[in-house]
Amino acid sequence: MTGRAHLWFVGPALVLMVLILLMPIAVAAGLSLTDYGLGNRSTDWVGLANYEQIFTRSAYEKMFGATFRYVAITVPLSVGLGLGAALLVHSVARFGDIYKTIYFLPVMASLVAMAIVWEFTLHPTIGLVNRTLEQGCGTWLETWGWYANGCARSFPLWFGDRQYALGSVAFIGVWQAFGFNMVLYLAGLTGIPRELYQAAEVDGAKSAWDRFRLVTWPMLGPTTVFVVTISFIRSFQVFDTVEAIYETGGGPSRSVYVMMYAIYEKAVRQNLIGIGAAITIIFLAFVMVLTLLQRRLVERRTHYV
Amino acid sequence: MAEAAGLTLSGIVKSYGTTPVLHGIDLDVAPGEFLTLVGPSGCGKSTLLRILAGLEAPDGGAVSIAGRDVTQMRAADRNLAMVFQSYALYPHLTVAQNMATPLRLRDLTRWQRLPLVGNLLSRQARRRIGARVRAVAEILQIEPLLDRKPGQLSGGQRQRVALGRAMVRDPVAFLMDEPLSNLDAALRVHMRAELAALHRRLGRAFVYVTHDQAEALTLSDRMAVMRGGRLLQLGTPAQVYGDPVSLEVASFIGSPRINTLPGEIRRDGAVTCMGLPLGLRSGAAPGPATVAIRPEHLTTGEGFLSGTLNYAENLGADIYLHVHLGAEHEVVLRAPAGLATPAPGARISVARGGGLPLLFAADGARLPATPAVEAVA
Repeated sequence: MTGRAHLWFVGPALVLMVLILLMPIAVAAGLSLTDYGLGNRSTDWVGLANYEQIFTRSAYEKMFGATFRYVAITVPLSVGLGLGAALLVHSVARFGDIYKTIYFLPVMASLVAMAIVWEFTLHPTIGLVNRTLEQGCGTWLETWGWYANGCARSFPLWFGDRQYALGSVAFIGVWQAFGFNMVLYLAGLTGIPRELYQAAEVDGAKSAWDRFRLVTWPMLGPTTVFVVTISFIRSFQVFDTVEAIYETGGGPSRSVYVMMYAIYEKAVRQNLIGIGAAITIIFLAFVMVLTLLQRRLVERRTHYV
Repeated sequence: MAEAAGLTLSGIVKSYGTTPVLHGIDLDVAPGEFLTLVGPSGCGKSTLLRILAGLEAPDGGAVSIAGRDVTQMRAADRNLAMVFQSYALYPHLTVAQNMATPLRLRDLTRWQRLPLVGNLLSRQARRRIGARVRAVAEILQIEPLLDRKPGQLSGGQRQRVALGRAMVRDPVAFLMDEPLSNLDAALRVHMRAELAALHRRLGRAFVYVTHDQAEALTLSDRMAVMRGGRLLQLGTPAQVYGDPVSLEVASFIGSPRINTLPGEIRRDGAVTCMGLPLGLRSGAAPGPATVAIRPEHLTTGEGFLSGTLNYAENLGADIYLHVHLGAEHEVVLRAPAGLATPAPGARISVARGGGLPLLFAADGARLPATPAVEAVA
């Protein structure tokens, strides 16, 4: 049989996939090897020069540092808090839905709007946080050195101080992401058969920790793989908080100069599309490597029922 | 070795919300006995087992093991083993690890259970556990499976592993919640025989929940028939089958179902069934009654009833004939061996075989009945 019907079945999906998914990446990869800029009269082939810049100049070193620090703070905290919140919400008999809704609110809210709210809340002089902290001055809290320091001089400029900026931005990231992780974990928790807990009880698992180790954690394995992967990708992609809070430059001495923001700054603001494309490709490679690595490491130990 | 111990349930009451599930159940399980809780689904038998296990708390009544009140004791401390309907094996652990879990949780301290450090702290204990697991695996013939995960096992193999996990720590009694219901018919019969052998070998009390009366009849020393949260009858399989206390028990136990026909106790004590004399006398008050006759106590031949064949149920060894008696009644009878199966619609005469019909009052209570002397003559 030499019919071509099969091409008609496979064709549309294949064409769409190439056109929509693979082509843009290929174009970005191509552009990353040029000094292309919108409206430039000529475009030159520069080979790996863009990449060389990225891996040698200190501005980009800061970019990698900020991105990795952000990911390193956000992922464990949002996954851990998500799991904790899910276990707590799952264990309450009443009001579970209300808690679920409340924790999920930040996920539904627009991050740009929420970033502005946080910017006010954490404002060094008129912000709710620092004003509350000031109320504690002169009490026993001053025995804590950091606190005394804050009373003597001023409490931190959460977004303006190089020391705190990344932490503050990461805090917003965690605040926003953990509700999403909680919902995923809740779905995982409802999938655990009750008989397993009863078997664990009969087998002598007396403490909550024993039950967690023997049943809950292993049975949440597939959920954890998914949650961790998603969290990694989402925190690598952080952009709107940085853009909303810092109008230019990526924070005090570029301490919050994350990759997505760098791409935006280079490619859109400075019209250095070649560099922007190169960062995009590196970003893609990171996410890809991390995802594969994590699949290999975790999936080996994960049981799918 | 734990001593063989008896279990006692007294006055167990349980309801879920406003729905009562158990209405005061009293039950004694003798040491080493195989006791079956049998009843249709929703009769409360599983709930009763879980109360015995400590997985649920009764609203009233007491549970005691070997004479000690354990009503307030949690399941983990009762030293009972349970086999679940779904087997409830830990899917991420190998068969050996699954079987070792009860021992690890009981015999090792929390520090000894830690991954690497624990290994060093508890070499000897771990070796003991490993040896015990292998010994049990040998009894159940699952040694080649020890390194596999439950997902790679067949239903029957999982069943054995679940049994193994229950057996490793020598509990005072085994509780089983419909353990064979997920197996195919042939394997079920095979595992039934194995369970009976295992029970003899272990010498521990088995409390076995099933809705399958064949399992109850074949396995039990005594069976407890439950319905609607009440214990209807407790006795040996022979007692329950041959001497049921009520029509409910008589109809539930026995397959095909016992035949029920309208009857009457006449003023002189003689019992009739559809107007025909049965050769039975009853001392009960005269009036209408229900006559119940087992299918194997009927045969073909002149002398009792007659009707048309509705359908012939061929079970291989036996053929059961479903015979319509007029529009309202039907009887099932076991065709005598060697009878050529008649075509549906054929005229069938029904005769009494051996065995006595049972007599029940209108409310289902059993009525005394004795063979009438002149009928025997």
